[in-house]
Amino acid sequence: MSVTDTAPKLTTLPRGLLRRTMPCLLTLAAMIIILLVCGTMQPLIWSQFGFTLIMSPIVALAIGSMAQMVMMSIGDIDLSIGFFIGMITAISATLLRDTPLIGVLALLASILGYALLGALVELRSVPSLIATLGASFIWLGLGLFALPVPGGQAPSWLTAYTMWSPPLGIPTPIITMVLATAITWFFMQKTRVGVNFRALGSNPIALVRSGSSMLGTRMLAYATVGLLGVVAGLTLTAEIGGGDVNAVPGYTLTTIAAVILGGGMFTGGRAVAWGTLFGAITLGLLTVLLTLLKLSSNLQPAVQAFIVIAVLAGRLVVDRKIK
Amino acid sequence: MTSEDMGPLMRVRDVIKTYGPTVALSGVTLDVRSGEVLGIVGHNGAGKSTLMRTLCGIERPSSGTLEIEGRTSTEKGSYRGVRMAYQEGSLAPELTVKENIYLSANQWMPKWRWHGPAAKIAKERLKEIFPDNSIRASDYVDDLPLADRQMVEISRATITDDLRLLILDEPTESLSGSAVDHLYDYVRKLRAQKLGIVLVSHRLKEILSVCDRVAVMKDGAVVSTHLASDVTERDLFMAMGGEVAVAETGVGSGGADRDASRPVAVQIPMKDISGADTEIYASKGEVIGLAGIAGQGQEDVLARLWNGVAGEVTVDAKRAYVPGDRQRSGIFPLWNVASNLSITALSDLAERGLRQTDKEDALVKKWVNLLNVRGGAQAAITGLSGGNQQKVIVARAFASDADTILLDDPFRGVDIHTKSELYQLIRDEARAGRTIVWYSSENSEMRHCDRAYVLRAGRVAAALHGAEITDERIIAMSFAESKGSVA
Repeated sequence: MSVTDTAPKLTTLPRGLLRRTMPCLLTLAAMIIILLVCGTMQPLIWSQFGFTLIMSPIVALAIGSMAQMVMMSIGDIDLSIGFFIGMITAISATLLRDTPLIGVLALLASILGYALLGALVELRSVPSLIATLGASFIWLGLGLFALPVPGGQAPSWLTAYTMWSPPLGIPTPIITMVLATAITWFFMQKTRVGVNFRALGSNPIALVRSGSSMLGTRMLAYATVGLLGVVAGLTLTAEIGGGDVNAVPGYTLTTIAAVILGGGMFTGGRAVAWGTLFGAITLGLLTVLLTLLKLSSNLQPAVQAFIVIAVLAGRLVVDRKIK
Repeated sequence: MTSEDMGPLMRVRDVIKTYGPTVALSGVTLDVRSGEVLGIVGHNGAGKSTLMRTLCGIERPSSGTLEIEGRTSTEKGSYRGVRMAYQEGSLAPELTVKENIYLSANQWMPKWRWHGPAAKIAKERLKEIFPDNSIRASDYVDDLPLADRQMVEISRATITDDLRLLILDEPTESLSGSAVDHLYDYVRKLRAQKLGIVLVSHRLKEILSVCDRVAVMKDGAVVSTHLASDVTERDLFMAMGGEVAVAETGVGSGGADRDASRPVAVQIPMKDISGADTEIYASKGEVIGLAGIAGQGQEDVLARLWNGVAGEVTVDAKRAYVPGDRQRSGIFPLWNVASNLSITALSDLAERGLRQTDKEDALVKKWVNLLNVRGGAQAAITGLSGGNQQKVIVARAFASDADTILLDDPFRGVDIHTKSELYQLIRDEARAGRTIVWYSSENSEMRHCDRAYVLRAGRVAAALHGAEITDERIIAMSFAESKGSVA
């Protein structure tokens, strides 16, 4: 800190910050570019209605990605989130609408189920991949039990929320997504529990030496994932107007891609709420873009996958350069 | 003895710690007083790290008592008022400096809006201990150099409201000269505030200059306690079981008496303790040892030989490596003894890419019989005792057609009977023309070597030959610090 210090060029930025925020910024740039391209091809999306239209299918994905982000911050991966969100839509479109009290209890029980899953992972040293893969079939089964065929109806208050058109022309989906992201970000960065989650992912020994319990921390993290999964399920119910346990099995892998795009790591320790939001929106908008480009819907997943791989490879190169 | 009037801050009585059949602490009795710096020294396996972990409460003693200011129970896995600065591994690298501080000291910080206070105290404490550090509170630990991380770790340990006893485990191994001085200034300041400090270090000079008393550990017990002002480094060597070696013995004599009749099989350029160029070499058919305190660059030498970059080191093209940590890098747990044993030799036995099972069987049979592996070739490897597993791993290397065998402390925790069989095997194989480079943390094993190099901080502190290779000399040379520092 002495005056004689020959200050390196980036001295104003804390060490390691650039490396961590770069992926998020790159993804943000990609998101903006895709938006601009879409907007040029179809100017109608620049209205409250148009924006709501392209964004509302992405809300559940964004919040589901938040859940995956929390999971990856502790160094685990959730292979069950797709079916979990599906199960929640099945519960919401039946129990929650018909018998709200039992519905709420069922939702709380699913969060508890996640916490128990965390206990299993911690106590029996079951890899999270295996535990959540197994759990995905449980969610599928329970969802089919609640609603064997797609159908049911979203609770009226949920539908009312989606029909709400906020003042100042702000699209509802944006409000939902930004709010969910802001709360997740605050939780992960500003609270003791959030720091514990990230410490668990980065160095469990440090967490234990600080006097916290690994079991408690992991169960809490899984419960948080479950809670975010429930919120994602509710927004999806509102979007599709009913329930379907098989609605979004693809979310399981798409949410992982969103977290990675946003700067998260498989090895844990990083919580990147805003990056994950940008990642989820980018992935969601790709579908819109490819449709506008009149690409055959059969080819869309392949093109999407190709773009994701390209971005990840690019990020790796950038990451190495900075380090 | 000074300050006998005050009761000790921490009272340790007859503490025994065992892990299964292994005795890590065999009955430690020790007092730490307030207002003193207690140094703890000892060679590999003396039990220092186990004792430190026991002192701060991570490990519970198997028997015996620990008492700090009258309390005997731990809270959340540590004794109240006791903090330890670990040598490594207790910071979360993906978190920032202030988040790490918050993680370890959150009970003394506000529940909300703690970023500011955590950053402030981190910065203040870092500045207080290391005035010319350039660490910022929002730097990520992962992106800090090793020395800075150590500074953060030391500061982290001191940030608490009720510090009574501070344990520093090898705090200066990665710090530079001025930072070391600053740290010890701070330690003296804490002593003046009537705190107790325990300092573990291999740097005897530092120990003698900072500590009031020095406890010497050997074989899991404190063998003697000295007033630092009354002893010299030489006395400490003696207490640790070393002998006073004449400083010039062997140092730099690496290439002097090379046997010209035998070709050089292994050669690796090194620095000696004063920074001059030297080398570690082995002629064909020799057993050479790498000795010294664990973690002083021995494994680095093995890694350089294993990688065998041409132009940097000379080593046979065919070489085999015997890892020390058999659980992690040694065995294939799902395979049986025969498959585990023959894996390295497979490709040499194969013809046109097809396995020759008859040759494999013969090879396995030969080695299983030679080393007397319990259970035979078809036994599951995980069903074997540790010693027998290690036999299989050693046999795997020798069953290959490698000319040079690298041993990475492979006999830790192996029973004495198995060990003597393996030592014999090593001698026989060397006689048959193989070159063996052998790192061991157990000094007595080095007796089986033709030549042993004692390493200190990645440099060659001494090269001992034949009868010179004794526990005492190795211990004495292990603590060499710079030219002529011994004696």
